[in-house]
Amino acid sequence: MTNLLDLAIIDRVLAGEQNLYAELVNRYKSYAYTIALKILQNRPEAEEAAQDAFIKAFHHLSGFNRQSKFSTWFYRIVFNTAISYKRKHRHQFQSIDTAVIEYHQEADVTLEKNDKQRYLQQAMAKLNEADRTALTLFYMQEFSLEEISEIMSMQANTVKVRIHRARQRVADELKNILQKEALTL
Amino acid sequence: MKKLSQHIEETLSDYLDGVLEPTRREAFEQLLRQDIELQKRLEALQAADSLLKQSTTEQPSKNFTSTVMSRLDQYPLRSGLSIRNGILLLVGVVVVMTTAVILLAAGAFNDTATLDLNSLTVTQRYIRQTLPSIAIDGKLMVNIIVLLNLALAFVVLDRAVLKPWFQRRMGTN
Repeated sequence: MTNLLDLAIIDRVLAGEQNLYAELVNRYKSYAYTIALKILQNRPEAEEAAQDAFIKAFHHLSGFNRQSKFSTWFYRIVFNTAISYKRKHRHQFQSIDTAVIEYHQEADVTLEKNDKQRYLQQAMAKLNEADRTALTLFYMQEFSLEEISEIMSMQANTVKVRIHRARQRVADELKNILQKEALTL
Repeated sequence: MKKLSQHIEETLSDYLDGVLEPTRREAFEQLLRQDIELQKRLEALQAADSLLKQSTTEQPSKNFTSTVMSRLDQYPLRSGLSIRNGILLLVGVVVVMTTAVILLAAGAFNDTATLDLNSLTVTQRYIRQTLPSIAIDGKLMVNIIVLLNLALAFVVLDRAVLKPWFQRRMGTN
């Protein structure tokens, strides 16, 4: 259903209603930004890469052959754009905002949840970008293994192995982090 | 904790994702009941799985959509070559071409060399047949190099200098 809506919007954008592209941007910006952020681990760069991906997609919209879902096609552009950003900016310093720990004086439940997510982020940071992206896409609950393999230009079996390996590593890292936390208490 | 084999780790992951066939699942559950280490590992993986399921998508800045829409007409986003590097490359190509043309005009490549394949050690060792000699026309080769450089110069001029320059001018007007 979503894909049919996307295709209808794409037809109108291609017919000249450029402003309608904003609907596609609004629909996919969170996932696009999340994928870029998982690869780049830097918020300003991820934002720029996600924006560039939308602009690239807009200019190649007529070349979208509609054999796969628009989202799959588009996230592949996001993935490739973020990977090329990573290669270009490898030498640069990592932004400190990835290391910032958001602290909210909220209810204990929220604090506990924030802590858990912080530990998860720390564990995910230990993965390489391809494993991190495969794991993120898998847990977005939006994609099948075949779609993830299409987005990442890898074989479905390779993606499955990556996801399993990444999750095992995350489990190991979480255990290490929690042990360290317990020692500091 | 002992390290589990990769095969067991894979089976654990398949079990966690619920993709094990019923017969294999039953056999694995039996193994799980007997092996405490395996149970601990499954618990660790389940904890990671549960946290990953709770992870939310990140939100970009509020002006994300408006920025994208305002930048739609700026394409290509950036050339692989900056204008400065494009000019430097162009200068290099022109210098090579000019040098080659000057040397050509001075007759530096007028002689035709002959490469006798039979005199090479490699061919003497492995090939018993007599091989033909190859005549190398230096002038022809340099002419081809000059032509290729000319084509490259036009491409660099177009992609890295003229196109970005005109786009920049259109963008400022």
